[in-house]
Amino acid sequence: MGSVTNTTEKALKMLRALPRVTIGNIRPNPDSKQRSKRGRGQHGGDKHGAGNKGSGQRQNFMRLGYETGNTPFYTRFPYEPYYKGHHLRREYRPISMLQLQTLLDTNRLDTNGIIDLTSICNTGLFSIKPDERQYGFQLTDEGADLFRGKINIEVQYASDEAIAAIEKNGGHIRTAYYDMRSLQAMINPQKWFEKGVPIPKRMVPPLDAMEYYSSAERRGYLADPEEISKERLVLAQKFGYELPKIEEDPDFERLTATKDPRQIFYGLEPGWVVSLKDKAIIKPK
Amino acid sequence: MLVAAVRNSLRNLRISAKRDVHTTIKADTAGGSAAIISKLPDDPNGLFREPRQVWVENLDTVEENKLGIIELHPDVFAAQPRIDIIQENVEWQRKYRYVSFAHTKTRAEVRGGGRKPWPQKGLGRARHGSIRSPLFRGGGVAHGPRSPTTHFYMLPFFTRVHGLTSTLSVKLAQDDLHIVNDLAIPSSDPKYLQELIEKRNWGPSVLIVDEDDLCPENISAASSGIAYVNLMPVYGLNVYSMLKHNTLVLTMSAVEKITERLLFQLRRSDGFKKMEKFKLDQ
Repeated sequence: MGSVTNTTEKALKMLRALPRVTIGNIRPNPDSKQRSKRGRGQHGGDKHGAGNKGSGQRQNFMRLGYETGNTPFYTRFPYEPYYKGHHLRREYRPISMLQLQTLLDTNRLDTNGIIDLTSICNTGLFSIKPDERQYGFQLTDEGADLFRGKINIEVQYASDEAIAAIEKNGGHIRTAYYDMRSLQAMINPQKWFEKGVPIPKRMVPPLDAMEYYSSAERRGYLADPEEISKERLVLAQKFGYELPKIEEDPDFERLTATKDPRQIFYGLEPGWVVSLKDKAIIKPK
Repeated sequence: MLVAAVRNSLRNLRISAKRDVHTTIKADTAGGSAAIISKLPDDPNGLFREPRQVWVENLDTVEENKLGIIELHPDVFAAQPRIDIIQENVEWQRKYRYVSFAHTKTRAEVRGGGRKPWPQKGLGRARHGSIRSPLFRGGGVAHGPRSPTTHFYMLPFFTRVHGLTSTLSVKLAQDDLHIVNDLAIPSSDPKYLQELIEKRNWGPSVLIVDEDDLCPENISAASSGIAYVNLMPVYGLNVYSMLKHNTLVLTMSAVEKITERLLFQLRRSDGFKKMEKFKLDQ
């Protein structure tokens, strides 16, 4: 058995010499099962949260933060701005460039179209919850040096390094905003289409996001395309790479395809109803 | 473009991995008879372990004829033999349909006992409020079993999948798994089947699994008279039955179906949906 290295092979080899595995001779792993005991009394004979003897039962501990008559530290300062409006802030779930590269390597993403929120959700590995104010995905720079994909991607937020990594490889990136109703349709289009509800119109970003999505530097979807061309060069100079000429790329059309600012599914317009049963698209007159 | 967009938008429920289907070649041997060779496709980027090669046998004669060789997928037929997972599956199969009808009466349900048996004070006796209290002979039972008690629970999905692969692997490792080309036997006499099992040393009990639930007439008739020889379709394959019988006999089509279904479950990319909590009314 010395030559056997694989534990599975080793186990199977051992089984050959052992008696037949039957219902009568199998057992759970030792000590893996704990029998439940019926305790006595109202709460099964427990200690009512006070622990076992000693300070927990006999001493009167004050509640956490209580300072015997002083104004507690946690109420002493009336203003803590760090979490102001936290219940209104938008959250973007992070995806690192390394994770994106892995998605491409494992063929989880279709690179023939725009990689958008729907395609990322469709991988089954990432998801967002719009009702918890998660408004989409952000690209983080971890693994940006390793990124090799030539893709057309649309995310909701991206760091400079992530933008640079995509443009360096001849790709195309836009940051785009989707309102909550659009997100509901995008995270599970099948469910949306089955409802028989028209595809919603994408709303414009709220005021505090308008600046971000109009900025060419952030590759906002509302920014002037010419400004973006300039910013592509600026970023190339900042990170010191030669910008591939996307205009001369044979896949130029595919790489630069973008959605309309009011559109949520590429190729489908707001107001249309997709019938999965009849495999038809119903358009308003 | 539109169709592509719709397709792109839909959830991708298909798995990207190619299905590992057997290709069966009938090769002529030197003796003139045709040998079956059923091979798994070469998987340059997936398989790190060699497929298992197993003889394909016949059922149409009592003597064993080796008809050829079939390759069994190592992820299904040579998986880690987790005895603990097999045990969990057996326990689950026993329990999920078990309803305990053991029943005891509480002090409230036992007849009588509404009256205080004797005054609280003054008699020198212990204080009691009812002659049906659990302390009394003939009194109610405290915390006794109540009928009906269901023991239904759902084993996690992938524990069930691994239970099947583990059991199939154990059966193969212990030489208790036999592959036959089909279930054609020459007579419907149970004695033929008993003789065959005796001759091939398959142990008294045999579970024969075919691809679907329509088996040839002869084997159905022959096995129906023998309680310890049972026929089962692939969709009924389960850990308990495999362990209950000494020998497991699979047809080649059953092997293909089992391999295809189990590999699909082992490799599915939407497995997280299967790991959600089991809901009864869904």
